[in-house]
Amino acid sequence: MGGRLKIVLLLAPALAVIGVLFAGGLVIAFVQSLGYVPAIGMTELTLDAYRGILSDEDFFDSLVLTLYVSGVSTGVSTVLAVLAALALRRSSGRLSAVVFQLPITIPHLVAAVGIALVVGQTGLGARLAALLGLIGEPGDFPALLYDERSVGIILTYVWKEVPFITLVMLAALRGVASDLEDVARTLGAGAWQRFWYVVFPVISPSVVAASLLVFAFTFGAFEVPYLLGKSYPTILPVMAYDEYRGIDLAARPTAMAINILIALVTGAIAALYLRLARDLGRRRG
Amino acid sequence: MSARLELENVSHRYGNDAPALEKLSLAVEPGELVALLGPSGCGKTTALKVVAGLLRPTAGDVRVDGRSVVGTPPERREAAMVFQKPLLFPHMGVTENVGFGLRMRGARKEEAGRKADEALRRVRMEGFAGRSPGELSGGQQQRVALARALVTEPRLLLLDEPFSALDANLREEMRDLVLRLQREGGHTTVFVTHDQEEAVVLADRIALIFDGRLQMYDCPEAFYDRPATREVARFFGATNFIDGRANDGSVRTPLGDLRLEGTAPPGEVTLTIRPEAVRLEGGENSFRARVSSTSYLGTQVHYELRAAGTTLRAALPPHVRLAVGDEVTARLPATSLWVLDRRF
Repeated sequence: MGGRLKIVLLLAPALAVIGVLFAGGLVIAFVQSLGYVPAIGMTELTLDAYRGILSDEDFFDSLVLTLYVSGVSTGVSTVLAVLAALALRRSSGRLSAVVFQLPITIPHLVAAVGIALVVGQTGLGARLAALLGLIGEPGDFPALLYDERSVGIILTYVWKEVPFITLVMLAALRGVASDLEDVARTLGAGAWQRFWYVVFPVISPSVVAASLLVFAFTFGAFEVPYLLGKSYPTILPVMAYDEYRGIDLAARPTAMAINILIALVTGAIAALYLRLARDLGRRRG
Repeated sequence: MSARLELENVSHRYGNDAPALEKLSLAVEPGELVALLGPSGCGKTTALKVVAGLLRPTAGDVRVDGRSVVGTPPERREAAMVFQKPLLFPHMGVTENVGFGLRMRGARKEEAGRKADEALRRVRMEGFAGRSPGELSGGQQQRVALARALVTEPRLLLLDEPFSALDANLREEMRDLVLRLQREGGHTTVFVTHDQEEAVVLADRIALIFDGRLQMYDCPEAFYDRPATREVARFFGATNFIDGRANDGSVRTPLGDLRLEGTAPPGEVTLTIRPEAVRLEGGENSFRARVSSTSYLGTQVHYELRAAGTTLRAALPPHVRLAVGDEVTARLPATSLWVLDRRF
């Protein structure tokens, strides 16, 4: 009992910060989403904000866009990361380690600006393509920013998240998976059989877990779509921000309701992740 | 089914490190169980991985039934390996694990399942077919790993310290199991261990390896009776070493002239004798000695005898009771004296 108390006390400062900033913020957001904003005289608890959102086409356009961006970013990142990890697992190259760790340390905001400088119609890529004669002039470069398909946003996420998933996978591949592969080899399994029947099933929980984290992050992230996304429809967090920043204070509950819905989705994904991680731990044990 | 294995001058080095294996040559006859014995880091596991094909020798040749397999990938060598850890596939049940090798060779699911059940019976794990690996104890998992290797009817069975992670009781049980399975199946088996007792109990022949080099390759008794070098003798627990100068059939030593059975090449030699072979009696090769320490071991008493600056250990039955300081006559029978480092 004393031991547990000690742990609680030691964790208390950290927990207090998390509790106040995170849980506190969530509670306030939730209360406001129910229409309780006393500063402007709204004190009655109602579900109007949610009703409003759920009957609003803009919200669903935004939701579809958000799911699309998160889904494609996660999918593309995962596939590329799997290939990268398989290619890198036998090497212990310092260079590849640096190349893959560098993007992880760079903030999303900086990454977004970087991507914009490279793939914009006045950017490096467009000029290079024009110089090489691939396109007539830089302006002919396909629009990859503020565009219909959110290519700029997805590119930024892919650039940032591929290294993350790759590193998680490399850890899995270089650990028990490689020992199990040796066993499979001496039992007569060829390269493809080893991948399909041993390596892939063994690493897939890690892949899924890393992908879920990426999905949850991209679903709730604000800065990249804010910088590189078109103005309508916007991604959900940007929509919530616009509602929040609007001059109409009465829209505050709507903004908070959107945030709560985002939190619910990412929370559900986090729960799924924790469950997977636990199952993984149990199986290893 | 079982094959003859030959290693000829096999060397291996990892990167620029000192060679892990140097010019290892030995042959394993069909159905024979050979132990690669040595302290950890001596290169025995490297040797096994070279045989399995998981490592490529930097020099030398590995032949199975006379044909070189150096260029053959592990999956086509029919050399099943059991590792230190069970390494069962965590996403498969016990039966699927055991049937894995058969499935990879194209067996139908029912057939693989049937043979897997049969193999599980052979390792006394028939009641666990439906379990998942995580539900088994370490010993049970290692039995399943053994069944998984045996079910493929490998031409070579390679065991890399498969019991070292188990506790003593279980280890003994597993030894018996491996002996029984090996006799039933007649698999040519190579067994890596650092445990001298395990090697002696299991192996038809032992290959003792120090620092990547083969020291001695012979039947277990030979390591006690006729060790090749002082290091080999030490590894097998020998403590009695007597230096002297050989001259025909006898050796001049501080203990007097000791007669040998047979002859030794003239020059400096070292003699050894097992503690059990030392007698307390007069006659040929006898001398006076003083008891300098005793330790009672229940079934035996160990005495340290000092004579002419030499210390000898004698193991005697417990009814002989001597005290420290006693004067005795000790004899080293010619038939039990062995000349070390003899050059043939």
